[in-house]
Amino acid sequence: DAVAVLPAPQNLSVQSTNMKHVLTWSPVVVPEEIIHYSVEYQGEYESLYMSHIWIPSSWCSPTAGPECDITDDITATVPYNLRVRAVLGSQTSAWSTLKQPFNQNSTILTPPGMEVTQDGFHLVIKLEDLGPQFEYFVAYWRKESGAEEHVKMVMNGGVPVHLETMEPGSAYCVKAQTFVKAIGRHSAFSQAECVKVQGETLPL
Amino acid sequence: QFGPCRVEGVVLQKLWEAFRAVKDIVQAQDNITGVRLLRKEVLQNVSEAESCYLIHALLKFYLDTVFRNYRRKAAEFRILRSLSTLANNFIVIVSKLQLSQENKMFSTWESARKRFLLFQRAFKQLDREAAVTKAFGEVDILLTWMEKFQQL
Amino acid sequence: HNTEDTSNLLQHVKFQSSNFENILTWDSRLESSPDTVYSVQYKTYGEGEWLAKEGCQRITRKSCNLTMETGNLTEFYYAQVTAIDREGQSATKMTDRFNSLQHTIIKPPDVTCIPKVRSIQMIVHPTYTPIHAKNGHRLTLEDIFQDLFYRLELHINHTYQMHLGGKQREFEFFGLTPDTEFLGTIMILVPTWSKESAPYKCRVKTLPDRTWT
Repeated sequence: DAVAVLPAPQNLSVQSTNMKHVLTWSPVVVPEEIIHYSVEYQGEYESLYMSHIWIPSSWCSPTAGPECDITDDITATVPYNLRVRAVLGSQTSAWSTLKQPFNQNSTILTPPGMEVTQDGFHLVIKLEDLGPQFEYFVAYWRKESGAEEHVKMVMNGGVPVHLETMEPGSAYCVKAQTFVKAIGRHSAFSQAECVKVQGETLPL
Repeated sequence: QFGPCRVEGVVLQKLWEAFRAVKDIVQAQDNITGVRLLRKEVLQNVSEAESCYLIHALLKFYLDTVFRNYRRKAAEFRILRSLSTLANNFIVIVSKLQLSQENKMFSTWESARKRFLLFQRAFKQLDREAAVTKAFGEVDILLTWMEKFQQL
Repeated sequence: HNTEDTSNLLQHVKFQSSNFENILTWDSRLESSPDTVYSVQYKTYGEGEWLAKEGCQRITRKSCNLTMETGNLTEFYYAQVTAIDREGQSATKMTDRFNSLQHTIIKPPDVTCIPKVRSIQMIVHPTYTPIHAKNGHRLTLEDIFQDLFYRLELHINHTYQMHLGGKQREFEFFGLTPDTEFLGTIMILVPTWSKESAPYKCRVKTLPDRTWT
């Protein structure tokens, strides 16, 4: 049967970091031919209530590369089944299905990138913009023994924001972590960065 | 938090986004403008204690009956994605509400059940397809009501 | 939804709502149709009867204020317009299902920005809506939206911003340089309804520091 001649993609896996989920697989190689792929997904609802129903991925039905950003397809914190097949003209391979369903609560949360600067006596922080699902907790303190730690929630990254008006001649340290409400998880805190008023950034 | 029940991992705005994307398409198919399934008698003055049972019953009904029977139309109108988002998040809520059902207080449960039966009876009085379309079109009424309990 | 396919006479029948002022608007594809008259009806979703809107029967303008008729925040409404032209041709079209809580747009807040030497104070004034409570007093946006809060940004020489936010109405940005111009933007946010007003903007200059002169 000509249709099954095209080999199915192998080695499906999902890499997920900071709520960006990418499905990858080994490319199907047919000499002198350009192979495309089709990706489909199924949430827990579909697999429980209508197991024959698969939904085409937002960005990869079809796609040329052996990977697919499925972030926009994963819209609930439930296990998702994922499958891929190769397409060559009117020929399609069999479907390959991800062995283990993927759940976004397994995403790796990294500490946010941050730039700590100063403008006069203003302590300013600019956080890496990780997208709308992220909130940021910024902890900062005056670099002296017994100093109290202050915490401020910053709603979005990518914009330099004033944290504190510093005392002349003092140094302040800052660290930050992210929080994702959809999965109820925090990242670890970033390395602390310190700034001395009218001085340059001090390594810890 | 829905009344006394704790539910994490559901961002209602995501559900709103999914429904808003299809609201006008779905509601335009409902020509019976003189009937509202989720009426005041079903949703108004619900006590905090009742809210868990009522939310569980309503969401289970939507999963078992409304979304399942609306799927063909959803495919026809190319709104399967929104239906999938709503349904899968309803599953998260129902599965988490399940944990706190052990300490069922019968009187509260009975009162919530009466409200649910009001809704179900109105649903059954309509032609099946019209009822499913109307119920799907009333997801915004359901979300508005859930919103109120989520803030307590 | 139109009983007769004469869409030239009537199109885009919809509600436009801001701060709970609900205006029904429509238009007609015919450029000059001064003799066409329009009549408006409305109904509550779940009830049987269409009601004629007094003051919007056989009118020639293309809008009608339905604020009072659609003011119940827990209700959903429909409105429909019937257009009749000079030759007696008619067309009727209905709106989508409308609920002011969902659909209303929040206008920018009214704010007073008061510059001082090393700070700028910002006082947000309450926004009253046409909605009345049972005891008759007019509701503010804060009364209606439990999670409403204000978000204030002070833009400092185009490089960074100071942020303040909260449910209170008085805010003050401290630690500023005297005799310097700043741009302030103030928005109303209602997270549960994903509503965000356009910003109110004020450009102010801190006062000169005369302490040593």
